[in-house]
Amino acid sequence: MAILSARACPSRLWLAVAVFAATASWATAAPSEYQVKAVFLFNFTQFVDWPPEAFPGPDTPFVIGVLGTDPFGSQLDEVVHGETVNRRPLVIERYRSVTEIHNCNILFIGSTEVGHLEEILAALKGRSILTVSDSDSAGQRGVMIRLVTESNRIRLRIDVGAAKAGNLTISSKLLRPAEIVGGGED
Amino acid sequence: MPKRSRPIRQTLIAVILLTSGAVMLTTSAAFFAYDFVTYRQQTLRNLATLGEAIAANSTAALAFQNPDDAREVLSAFKAERHVVAAALYTRTGELFASYPAAGATETSALTLRDGYRFEQGYLIGVQPVVQGGHRMGVLYLKSDPGAIYERFRSFGLIAVLVLALSCGVAYLISTRLQRQISQPILALAETASAISANRDYTVRASRPEGYEFGLLTDAFNHMLTRIEGAQSRLQNQLGRLDLLQRITRAIGERQDLASIFQVVLHSLEDELPIDFGCMCLYDADAEALSIATIGARSRERAAVLEMREQSRVPIDQNGLARCVGGQLVYEPDVNGIEFPFPQRFVRAGLRSLVLAPLLVENRVFGVLVVARVAPEAFSSAECEFLQHLSEHVALAAHQAQLYGALQQAYDDLHQSQQAVMQQERLRALGQMASGIAHDINNAISPIALYTESLLEREPGLSDRARNYLVTIQRAIEDVAETVARMREFYRQREPELTLARVGLNRMIEHVIELTRARWSDVPLQKGIVIGLQTDLAPDLPEIMGSEVEIRDALTNLVFNAVDAMPEGGTLTLRTRSVLSQPYPGDEPLAFAHVEVSDTGLGMDDETRRRCLEPFYTTKGERGTGLGLAMVYGMIQRHSAELEIESVVGRGTTVRVLFATAQAPSMDIQPTAARQQPLRRLRLLLVDDDPLLIKSMRDVLEGDGHVTVVADGGQNGIDVFLAARRSETPFSLVITDLGMPYVDGRKVAAAVKAAAPDTPVILLTGWGRRLLADNDIPPYVDRVLSKPPKLIELRAALAELTASTAQSVIEEAS
Repeated sequence: MAILSARACPSRLWLAVAVFAATASWATAAPSEYQVKAVFLFNFTQFVDWPPEAFPGPDTPFVIGVLGTDPFGSQLDEVVHGETVNRRPLVIERYRSVTEIHNCNILFIGSTEVGHLEEILAALKGRSILTVSDSDSAGQRGVMIRLVTESNRIRLRIDVGAAKAGNLTISSKLLRPAEIVGGGED
Repeated sequence: MPKRSRPIRQTLIAVILLTSGAVMLTTSAAFFAYDFVTYRQQTLRNLATLGEAIAANSTAALAFQNPDDAREVLSAFKAERHVVAAALYTRTGELFASYPAAGATETSALTLRDGYRFEQGYLIGVQPVVQGGHRMGVLYLKSDPGAIYERFRSFGLIAVLVLALSCGVAYLISTRLQRQISQPILALAETASAISANRDYTVRASRPEGYEFGLLTDAFNHMLTRIEGAQSRLQNQLGRLDLLQRITRAIGERQDLASIFQVVLHSLEDELPIDFGCMCLYDADAEALSIATIGARSRERAAVLEMREQSRVPIDQNGLARCVGGQLVYEPDVNGIEFPFPQRFVRAGLRSLVLAPLLVENRVFGVLVVARVAPEAFSSAECEFLQHLSEHVALAAHQAQLYGALQQAYDDLHQSQQAVMQQERLRALGQMASGIAHDINNAISPIALYTESLLEREPGLSDRARNYLVTIQRAIEDVAETVARMREFYRQREPELTLARVGLNRMIEHVIELTRARWSDVPLQKGIVIGLQTDLAPDLPEIMGSEVEIRDALTNLVFNAVDAMPEGGTLTLRTRSVLSQPYPGDEPLAFAHVEVSDTGLGMDDETRRRCLEPFYTTKGERGTGLGLAMVYGMIQRHSAELEIESVVGRGTTVRVLFATAQAPSMDIQPTAARQQPLRRLRLLLVDDDPLLIKSMRDVLEGDGHVTVVADGGQNGIDVFLAARRSETPFSLVITDLGMPYVDGRKVAAAVKAAAPDTPVILLTGWGRRLLADNDIPPYVDRVLSKPPKLIELRAALAELTASTAQSVIEEAS
């Protein structure tokens, strides 16, 4: 059928071939861990609702921040390039310290900063910032979403209580494939 | 059931079935189409909804690359059996998850267009998976719409079943319903075919209930009524035409009016029919109708109507006046009409009356009157029929009249011819008879003279000789009488009747004697015996009449009586004296009756009616047809009356009634010439018959006369003239009448021319006729018939020479 329709419309064929070629090259290159995590970060923008006060102005950009050492390299930038969230431009900001954070919506806390995680979280307390971390540290609590690698797959562990405390609404859709922890008691 | 009935029933059923089938099919088809389309759309929508839901639930799985979750989501299709395959593809077109788990996907998602459609018998859905405006991937769905087709198969089955069932029900209903429609039509058709087969238009179709069949049947029946009416009118008309034709033919065969009228009335009474009918003849002068014929069945009513045949009905201001004016008059009801003629019909119980004039050449000569008991009983067609009939009757009657007149004229002509022939025959016979009589008279004259002379002058004769001579004398007289009667045939009429007293009894005896040969001798030769009876009244008064005529009449009656008894019988002659009083108070008149009766054949009515007609005879060539006519002539001349009684097979009686003589009896005595002294005369006898002249001479010279004879007329004249010039002229001339060249008349004329005083006696065989006819020729002083009688001769001589004889004798002496 596809062949038939391709024959019927040669221009589409070329397009399809180009896309296929792109995906094929991408697939063969077996996406790296942080390439996937960059996509995940972007994808969170689709499943989480921020309160309006998170965006003081109409043209306030949507900010994805990386705190500490940036494990993504340029991949995060590549993922969000040209994307918008609710017609707001998407901006990547990198912070060395928590004090640099002014206006941020999603904050990836790099593994280098996990040591003083409580400090960071306390600083961000009350602010509607979706905190994401991929650190395996057992004692880490208060991070809203943890990216856990299990049997070569990246899984989500969501602390619904923390998100609620941050006044963020996480879509139930997001909760389906994720593991839910915390429950919001602490 | 007639064959014709099938189509309408089948057609009705077929129409109903087809209609209901078509409706069912259309409805089903529409329903199907609608259901198909809507159901497909529904299925599409359902799949789309499903796809959307699944896609929505798959976004996170795709976004966070959790194929297990995606498979779980897809496993929800278990509940939807019709979804045979489902697959999730990533944004880059990689297969992410599929359902059933082991199921391979047919194609790459990238080649698929978004949307839902039917392809190759499957419902294909390509649903993009979008989250927050980002396309995460594609959900591919493949649904087997077999359920739809299954649904439609069962629908189709149901539809077929419903169709079959509804057709069955429709058939059942239609067979019942069509009866309501077809039954009356078939009944009507059956009635119509029965009518056309039997031509019986009195049949009516029964009126069915419902629809317009009542109207149709009414219309049909109305039409039948019209046809029946027309049919019966036609029949009546044909019947009347037939009747008219039969009557016309019947009257055409008849030639007399009475018979024509009778036939017409009889036919009308029997066949029109009518309750009363009569035919009247119109008498324009008297302004009245005379009833000619009354129908045989109308006679009772005619008695009530006071109408008899030959009675008269005056024409007043009733319908008759119009009718005799030539119009057909129809009184539908005479009840209200005050005129006497219609009122008669009211009394006889007759209400409707038609008067039809019988018109010939614009002249009404009669009226046909017909009537019926019921009022307004004559239709216009019947009036027309009567009008036509009366025209035919008038024509036939007119022809009958013409025929009658023609017949009458022919009969008259024939009778005249017969009469003329008869007259001619009689004249010839009479002439011959006269000639014979003349000769006989001449021949017997000497016998008569000598016999008389002998008896008178020979006293010495023996008694026997004297007897013989007397017998001879009577025979001679009889011969003379017979000859005289024979001459009567020639006599045409009796110009004047000399009446004398006649004794009927004596005459009857004469008649018996005269006719003895006819009633006794002639029949006896054939062995037939006719007995004679006489019954004569002794005191019968004498009558005044002509003896000769009466005797002839009685002789004729006796002849007739004898002719009526060819097998023998009794002849009766009877006289009676009757006193009759014709008017009360008048003096009774005495009548003498003479009857001649026979016991013969008798006469029928026709003969009885015509027997007095001249030349009417039942005796064929033997009869002259004048016998009774002569009798009747005598009766009229004698103012007598005639009565005829006759019964066929029993006999006939003819009675003559004479008035008796009023005048006293007066005997006419012949002049006793013999007593007178004889004078001797010088006589010239002229006759061509030597025997006669010799006997005359002998007899006259025996009386002492001197006679000179001349044997012819011229000779006689010569002798007379010679004697006239001589000393001895003749004192008297006796001459015969019929002589060759110069007859008695010329002799007499010559004698009178020479000597007017010399008497001339004409002696003739025709003498009696001359006497009776007053046909005495001039110059003749006396006519004496032959055979001369001595007495008459002497008397004549004495009479004629009374003045001159003396001188003659003186001279002679």
